[in-house]
Amino acid sequence: MNMQGRFLSEEEKLRIHQDSIKILEEIGIRFPSRIALAILESKGARVDWDKQVAYLSEAMVKAALNTAPKQFVMGARNPENDLLLPSAFSAYNMDGCGVNTLDFNTGERRGAVLQDVADSARVFEEIDLGYIYWPPISPGDVPYGARSIVSTGTSFINTSKHIMDEVKEKEEVPYLIEMTKAILGTIDAVKERKIYSVTYCTVAPLCHDGEMLEATMELSKYNAPILIYPMPACGTTGPASLRSNLALANAEALSAITLFQFVSPGVPLLFGAALGVVNVRSGMFLEGAVETAMQMAAMGEMGKYYGLPTMSAGCLTDSKALGAQAVLEKAMTTFPLVLSGVDVVQGIGLIESSMTLSLEQMMIDGEIASLCRRMKNGIDISEEMDYFEDIKAVGHGGHFLKQKNTRAAFRSNEFYQAALCDRNSYDSWVDLGSKDMIELAREKVKTILGSERKNPLPESTEKVIREIMEEAKKKLNK
Amino acid sequence: METELFETMKNAVLEGDENLAADLAKSALEKDMDLSKVMNEGFLKGIQEAGDLYQAGDYFLPELVCSADAMKVALEILAPALKNASGDIVTTRGKVVLATVQGDVHDIGKMIVGAMLTAAGYEIHDLGSDVPNEKVIEAVKESKPDILGLSALLTTTMEEQKNIINTLVQNNLRDDLKVIVGGAPVSAKWAEMIHADGYSDNAMDAVKLVTRLLG
Repeated sequence: MNMQGRFLSEEEKLRIHQDSIKILEEIGIRFPSRIALAILESKGARVDWDKQVAYLSEAMVKAALNTAPKQFVMGARNPENDLLLPSAFSAYNMDGCGVNTLDFNTGERRGAVLQDVADSARVFEEIDLGYIYWPPISPGDVPYGARSIVSTGTSFINTSKHIMDEVKEKEEVPYLIEMTKAILGTIDAVKERKIYSVTYCTVAPLCHDGEMLEATMELSKYNAPILIYPMPACGTTGPASLRSNLALANAEALSAITLFQFVSPGVPLLFGAALGVVNVRSGMFLEGAVETAMQMAAMGEMGKYYGLPTMSAGCLTDSKALGAQAVLEKAMTTFPLVLSGVDVVQGIGLIESSMTLSLEQMMIDGEIASLCRRMKNGIDISEEMDYFEDIKAVGHGGHFLKQKNTRAAFRSNEFYQAALCDRNSYDSWVDLGSKDMIELAREKVKTILGSERKNPLPESTEKVIREIMEEAKKKLNK
Repeated sequence: METELFETMKNAVLEGDENLAADLAKSALEKDMDLSKVMNEGFLKGIQEAGDLYQAGDYFLPELVCSADAMKVALEILAPALKNASGDIVTTRGKVVLATVQGDVHDIGKMIVGAMLTAAGYEIHDLGSDVPNEKVIEAVKESKPDILGLSALLTTTMEEQKNIINTLVQNNLRDDLKVIVGGAPVSAKWAEMIHADGYSDNAMDAVKLVTRLLG
């Protein structure tokens, strides 16, 4: 069977759900948007207009969950990279909004620029389990009003995989729609193929961001999938027990799901999670902590409880440098999510609490992802795996190397061939240059960046995308 | 008798008991006590000790925030009586106005900086989050702080730090004021670029920064 992991029993999931409903009914949630409050009121919510707080009932939440699609495809510009959700395996995403890059040539941490989006998108194209690309950094060399549009355009040009980002203002929506239309041809195809999606963050505790909310509501009319991303941290922006922090995050998620389904019934949603714990002395958010990973996995389980596709932040680290802490924390914050069956793990390629991009780390995280997948797939006890005849043929002493099954098995998924973990003898390792994992990752990145762009857009389409990016730079630069 | 009362005041702050600190401050006013002694031997001692415990690693953030808030409550009650002719509170080390810039609702980082500065003996005016730029300018005009601290958590809102500094310059408010900036996407380089006076990436260093700037 597959290897399974879970943090919450059925009764415990019900209890968290009940905690969340109690929060929504008794405390309510703040929507600083008259449009949003009016919609919720028309659907039966009690609204305190002075406080901008809506009180949502369980019936409203259930009605919204009923119209949320349980299955859909996150399309990619190259259909080979489409991702059907729920997914049979854990796929991976980058996490947006970093501000630094570990420079690939100098190794120094510097401000992030647009070229980093292009380079990381090209590397992402080569990561087997990478399916959704959220530009991981905010490029400091692009006028800030146009950053999302320019990053999205640059992503489409450099990877053929699904693109995700945020929309912060309504004015950005037409540019995004034009871009996807340039690639797909028609508005109907844009709605059908879903090659672009957005992240929507609630603001803990129990608030929404008005502008982002209205921009995302606008985009939801085009059927773009929305990742609902609550991020309370125990003790600062959330209560200091894992149980209640889950309940709070879940309440925020349910409130967003309810609103978006009322605005655009049937709009595809991903049940997301970016919960955390904090440094008890400084209050800073800790991504690499085990309690962070436990909450992310548990939220994934809540998402499945509601029958929704799930995406949780994972493969995270608070390490400032590449190396031991980064790999330890990333492995620890990936594996539990994979075991509990989270559809998309979000976070590869970043260090320093997702503030800093490293191309080498992207490759290393790809390796962590593959190792986790192999373990998740578990031990196959089917008839085809019964090699009794081999045991009988070899008998006592001797070896299995000449068995037909062995030759085939060594090339099958039964044994994962590590790409970056050195498995040579000591002398061979020395002969090969005594390279560590980071150096091996560097070489792979170098090869990728040194070769032709894979799956490029047709020249005419790329030209249109570049024109839209230029237009955005002129018009959205406030 | 009086020594015991000062000890109780100190402990009210040290233990973060806002109600007790408020009661003690009120009764000090009613009894017409020597307020500089009330501050220096009572409340301020409590916040200093809380700060020391925090530095030593014995206090965690929640304890420090509670102590800072107890201090704030006492100070608010005593402030009118403590002000000198020019309107400054004589027993504090300086006045700091804090705000999270407009369009940004993230409050917590700035709140922590406020707590640490309170613990270090500064008078804090926290304008809250998503504060319109004109309100920040207004606050600088009105309360004439020594330091203005601007927080931004988003790459899109950090621009407002620059806008506020520019407006301060245009209104001739910049010369006597030190502006410090912070927030996850902010960096020392950014601070330099927008002509801020300083940046720190954590609250403890923010206290050192303020002390250095006012030193």
